[in-house]
Amino acid sequence: MSGSVAIRLTGLSATFHHERRGDVMAVKELDLDVRPGEFLTLLGASGCGKTTTLRMIAGFQAPSAGTILFGGEDVTNLPANRRDIGFVFQTYALFPHLSVFENVAYGLRVKRQSAAHIAARVEEGLLQVGLPGLGDRMISELSGGQQQRVALARAIAIKPRVLLFDEPLSNLDAHLRVQMRTEIARLQKDLAITTIYVTHDQEEAMAISHRIAIMDGGRVAQIGTAEELYQRPASRFVAGFLGQTNLIRGMVTAADDTGATLDVNGFAWRIASDAPVAVGAMVEAIARPEAIAFAPSGSGLAGVVESRVYLGSKAEYVVRCGEQAIQVVQSNPLAGKTYPVGDAVWLALPAGGARIF
Amino acid sequence: MLVLWLLLALFIVYPLTMLLGRAFFDEGHLALGPLLAAVENPNNLRALRNSLVLALLVGAAGTAIGLVFAFTAERANLSRRTIRLIDTATLLPLISPPFTTSIAFVFSFGPRGLITYGLFGIGNVKVYGLTSTLAAETITYFPIAYLALRPMLASIGGSFEEASFSLGGSRWHAFRTVTMPLIIPGLANAFLLLFGCSLADFATPLILAGSDFPVLPTEAYLQITGMFDLKSGAILSLLLLVPAGIVFYAQERFTAGRSYVTVSGKAAAASRRDAVSRGARLALLAACVALTATILYFYALLFFASIVMAFGANHTLTLEHYRVIFTEGLPAIEDTMIIALIGMPLGGLYGIVAGYLIGRVKFTGRRALEVISMLNYALPGTIVGIAYLLAFNDKPLALTGTATIIIACYVFRYSPTGIRTTIALLRQIDTSMEEASASLGAGNLTTFRRVMLPLILPAFFAGLGVVFIRSMTAISATIFLVSINWTLITVKILENMTEVALGPAAAFSVFVIAVVLIVTGLLNLTLKRLTAPTLSIGGIGT
Repeated sequence: MSGSVAIRLTGLSATFHHERRGDVMAVKELDLDVRPGEFLTLLGASGCGKTTTLRMIAGFQAPSAGTILFGGEDVTNLPANRRDIGFVFQTYALFPHLSVFENVAYGLRVKRQSAAHIAARVEEGLLQVGLPGLGDRMISELSGGQQQRVALARAIAIKPRVLLFDEPLSNLDAHLRVQMRTEIARLQKDLAITTIYVTHDQEEAMAISHRIAIMDGGRVAQIGTAEELYQRPASRFVAGFLGQTNLIRGMVTAADDTGATLDVNGFAWRIASDAPVAVGAMVEAIARPEAIAFAPSGSGLAGVVESRVYLGSKAEYVVRCGEQAIQVVQSNPLAGKTYPVGDAVWLALPAGGARIF
Repeated sequence: MLVLWLLLALFIVYPLTMLLGRAFFDEGHLALGPLLAAVENPNNLRALRNSLVLALLVGAAGTAIGLVFAFTAERANLSRRTIRLIDTATLLPLISPPFTTSIAFVFSFGPRGLITYGLFGIGNVKVYGLTSTLAAETITYFPIAYLALRPMLASIGGSFEEASFSLGGSRWHAFRTVTMPLIIPGLANAFLLLFGCSLADFATPLILAGSDFPVLPTEAYLQITGMFDLKSGAILSLLLLVPAGIVFYAQERFTAGRSYVTVSGKAAAASRRDAVSRGARLALLAACVALTATILYFYALLFFASIVMAFGANHTLTLEHYRVIFTEGLPAIEDTMIIALIGMPLGGLYGIVAGYLIGRVKFTGRRALEVISMLNYALPGTIVGIAYLLAFNDKPLALTGTATIIIACYVFRYSPTGIRTTIALLRQIDTSMEEASASLGAGNLTTFRRVMLPLILPAFFAGLGVVFIRSMTAISATIFLVSINWTLITVKILENMTEVALGPAAAFSVFVIAVVLIVTGLLNLTLKRLTAPTLSIGGIGT
């Protein structure tokens, strides 16, 4: 693989014909660069075009416009079986009439490799996914988690230049999901195969990826590391999609190069922001619930506790401040004070970590 | 693809065109006179009316009994063994030569019948007519309704009934307000299936209907074989085409909009097996046991008749009838076996190829291909037989008297089961299977050979099974196609019946049932060895 780009999508579009709605554009002129060895996740709600994008990269679906480059080679018109990819399906798509061994060996047999080589590769693959010695089993004899591992072993056995995952963990229970995503991340790191992963689960995306591309309406809304997206969302959509957030309204009373001061219900909130704002304008700023703390009486934004939910490791409050309801998360409630519903409280709003839109 | 279209044109479109041509045209001119005369002929009208009345009654009675059996099997908490017994008993009529029930009826209720004469001492009973034809056809065809309704009840599952039950409704209320509305499309479909079967049935009325209750298929046959009047026969069979066409269309409409339920092991396990009260359960069970016993009694009677000197008169045990069928009857046995064994692989192959093309490949005219491939199956055998007779009697394609014409008739008439099964299986195979294969570097041909073919193998075997069973047991179409050179067991049975040689007829029937059981058993065994244990044959015998 040469250059600093492993996969490049340029102006990629997908148009479907819908019986009632006519032509629908599922993916709209998408541009995306994936670095060699990178683990990139396409994250979005259902219908955002993430799976369609992945299927076009795999070659299962022809784009209506745009190009797909693998390491500089144009593969846009190459059929899937000549793109050298490993694809892990949401439904696993294991061949029910073949044993575990034959499933993993399938791609190697298609490539007509020697029996000895196949046996060695299959054994290695099953070992890598934690299923050594299960080659003789039939697919129907495996649990869902084991089937997922076989699907993974089958995809990596052919040593593809690109690994593609389509919501591979959505059929597993929550506990297994966490375990599998750790293993996928470890395996990808060991193999260093450029990987594109599709999911709608933001926690999964943040846990597993080098970079995340958040998709909305067939376009990439923002791309970056988990920290960048969470701390510096480029739009309200991204801010709202990734984690919980408060949109707090206030009037700009002062602004300079380093930030601005907002008047929120009479409280002066100083924010470090590079967004250009005019004095006198009504704006909204975001503040994550966990960045807001309870302040000593009389200092900060005044409000009344509207509800409190205790969740063990944290407590979630909703505090009514005039017309606005603000979410506050109190970490480690044991160590802090408990504020019952109806109490008058004061909130310390963060100076950093807030953004104006 | 081109080959397929050519075959369909030759063996389905061409004969039917010839049939229509013969009915509507006279020496090149459109002549509706004979057609109108036939329609106005009171005898023909009576045959048409009789056919329709019979079909309606068989459809209603068969569907009702099928529903009782299906509901009992799915919901009455029966032991595995009881269900297997019911399954076996209901399978028997499906794999028997068409006269079996009729023969057993004559044995039981005829002038010297075991029940009428033997038990009650009533001599000179009239067994022939609507009642016995109706009863015999219902027993012969209700298993089709049972097979159609049972998976439906299973897939609906008990959870809907449980939901209704939990809301305070009684079991009967749950059945009436939840289960019934859900299976109404299934009931309609079963009714149409049985209506079509009865309409097309040739063998039962030939034996049991008698001269007082003529129906269309037998009338058409008599016109052709008795009076050598091909034209009248063609016109009579066309009268049959009208209701048959309506049934075919109605069924297409029904199945077109229906979503296919993927039957998974899970749903069946979760379904409620005690959805009926004790009293209702006993009543259902009693009804099923009574009918099952009747069927088994018929077959026992048939077997008994085949090993005694003369049924009803001399009950000395003998193998004479078997000696007769393996000496005088041997040519028919040989011919039938050769035809069945050649037709079987051809039909199986045609079934999966056509099924794959229709189910997975996108091309223009796909819908037309599907409908045409179903035509010979949907139309009554009498029509198909007469059409083949007209089409292949003269040059350019003089096939009459050959085995080819009989094999072609069977293949194109009975492979649609294989086609349907292939399409249904393909619907259950997610396209991600093919994509997975492609992503691993396999081309289209490799994917078909290594992934799709093994997965649709059950359909291939179902196709093999059905073509073989029908080649052994069918008569309605091929009775027009047999010759001195090539004859069939079923035709021999008919000859024996008309000569009142009941012993050999029974022996032939027993032989056919035995061969069919052995061959389908072997097919099932082979399939099990070839494929994963999770894949089992579906639809054999239907």
